[in-house]
Amino acid sequence: MSAVDITFYINAAIAIYAGWRVFVTDSMVRASFFLLISFLAVGVIMLLLAAVYLGVALFFMMAVEMMVMALFMVMFMMNPAGLNPMKMVHQEKVAIAAGVVAFAALSAVAVFGEFPSRTIPEGWQPVVSLGHELLGDSMLVFESAGVTLLATMIAVVMLTSHRGRYGDANHGSRPPGLEPGGDPADKPEETEEGGHHHHHHHH
Amino acid sequence: MTSTLLIASACTVLLALLVGAYCVAAIDGAITARVTGQTPGNPLLIPLQNAARLWHAPHNETETPDRPALRLAPVLYLVLAAMGLALVPWSRDFVPVDLTTGIVFWGAIEPLATVLVFLKGWAPNAHFPLLGAYRYVSLGLSYILVSMFVLIGVALPAESLQISAVVDTQAELWNVVRQPLGLPLFLVVGLGVSFWGPLNFIDADDLHGGAASEEAGRVQLLWSTGRAAMLLAFSAIAASAFLGGWHGPWLPGPVWLILKTLAVVVLLVILGHTLPRVSPERFLTIAWVILLPLSFLSLAGAGVEALL
Amino acid sequence: MTLPTLLIVSAALIGIGIYGTLSQQSFVMLMMGLELILNGAMLAAVSFWALTAAGAPEGQLLTIIAMAVMAIEMAMGFALVVAVYRAKQADTTEALDGLKH
Repeated sequence: MSAVDITFYINAAIAIYAGWRVFVTDSMVRASFFLLISFLAVGVIMLLLAAVYLGVALFFMMAVEMMVMALFMVMFMMNPAGLNPMKMVHQEKVAIAAGVVAFAALSAVAVFGEFPSRTIPEGWQPVVSLGHELLGDSMLVFESAGVTLLATMIAVVMLTSHRGRYGDANHGSRPPGLEPGGDPADKPEETEEGGHHHHHHHH
Repeated sequence: MTSTLLIASACTVLLALLVGAYCVAAIDGAITARVTGQTPGNPLLIPLQNAARLWHAPHNETETPDRPALRLAPVLYLVLAAMGLALVPWSRDFVPVDLTTGIVFWGAIEPLATVLVFLKGWAPNAHFPLLGAYRYVSLGLSYILVSMFVLIGVALPAESLQISAVVDTQAELWNVVRQPLGLPLFLVVGLGVSFWGPLNFIDADDLHGGAASEEAGRVQLLWSTGRAAMLLAFSAIAASAFLGGWHGPWLPGPVWLILKTLAVVVLLVILGHTLPRVSPERFLTIAWVILLPLSFLSLAGAGVEALL
Repeated sequence: MTLPTLLIVSAALIGIGIYGTLSQQSFVMLMMGLELILNGAMLAAVSFWALTAAGAPEGQLLTIIAMAVMAIEMAMGFALVVAVYRAKQADTTEALDGLKH
């Protein structure tokens, strides 16, 4: 077994293990960094496959993305540090079945499929050819991706604006009930009583 | 690459990292003594004394820390610094890692460093470190883009993302002359990536020391070594990208690289002592409203120059 | 490092991603599942590019586009999480059951 093979198997194991840990760890911040580790391992495999630009691009894209992901985890999730055990899943059996079926089907394609074997020729420069493709024949595709990203930025600013279409974005917002259809989770009862009192006084 | 060359490269990088980190600490001590007017001792010995003191100091334990992150983050930060230093060409023939996308790889080291510095503040599970970590992430997200544009500007005249090719284009004219905006902008990035001086948002004094308030002993020693090593790796990259790297008359290439790297280190340490410390929100405004458009301008200038 | 082993690794990543996407209640965790699916897809694309396409640049282009899709998915996902949180003060998919009743 060559050094390349050993590096590949180690990184493949890391990618799959870290990808699995994302959904079983209690700590949400750890979950996003496990996903980062999975991406970094895939990036190393891409480097082994001579995709020198894509592997490195994956490193910096995912480092920034997962950093932002971790911040959102801390902002929105309860228990971001995983100090209490937690499991927030629904339809888990269906999900496991779907995952296993997808893995089995794709692996069957990988094992039984017939693919041509045409490796990268000696002296081929992947980065140079990618650059010529991006700013040559496929410029329209590349520029469309750029315009789509710009449209995304505008849409994201619109969606996250405090000012909604009909007044404040959080106007009339109620926290969800403790049980489906129940009372809001974090509204203390005094507020409602105070409201009644106020109503009575006016009469 | 033969295995001898591989081992020689690894040894060179590690030795340069250790000696360089010591040099950075010594330079910092000397300049601090100069700025404050107090000489607490021999600046050549102070880094060693500090290291010995921290090595034997007791460990500080917070309540339910994120232990793997606490232990791994400083080590990985040091590894990132070593990876950055490995990209730097020492002469025409000796480049430890001559990656065809070396410039992009350095661009990947910066956000990965941001992640690790966030973990430095996250791991102790304490109030001030976490606030420092949040401040640092806001800083990191704003300097990464500046760094990317400046580095693309350097890659344009070379028509390559390889650092050795970038150095080769500077045989006659250094990039610092060709793109005068590039180096000043890049120095801000250097202060950010090694959280040095006014950009040390994570250990901020107004946060009671931030993440440093919960650190002691060997963890603190590792982090201070890592910062010094990162400052050194950044300076070596900046010297290669803007100051012609190993090019220079009379002296051999590696000597020129070391001299230029140390010059950038001295400049950064002086800047760290003299630049005013701004509040995080004001720095974000400066970064997005002034530095980022300036880096655009620098890149556009480099593009026009490449076309002419 | 042969094509079948590479594809099996990417199949495993896609399988885990599908599990995560279908089972997680939190939007942010759900997005992690989507990211993992795209991770596997990119690995498969690069493997096909390197081992069956003789270095045709379109294979790398496909991966670049997948990365752009990933960035768009992240940005839109976070924007929707913020918008849903403003409206419902929750970040779980169960909060969006308005059309069920």
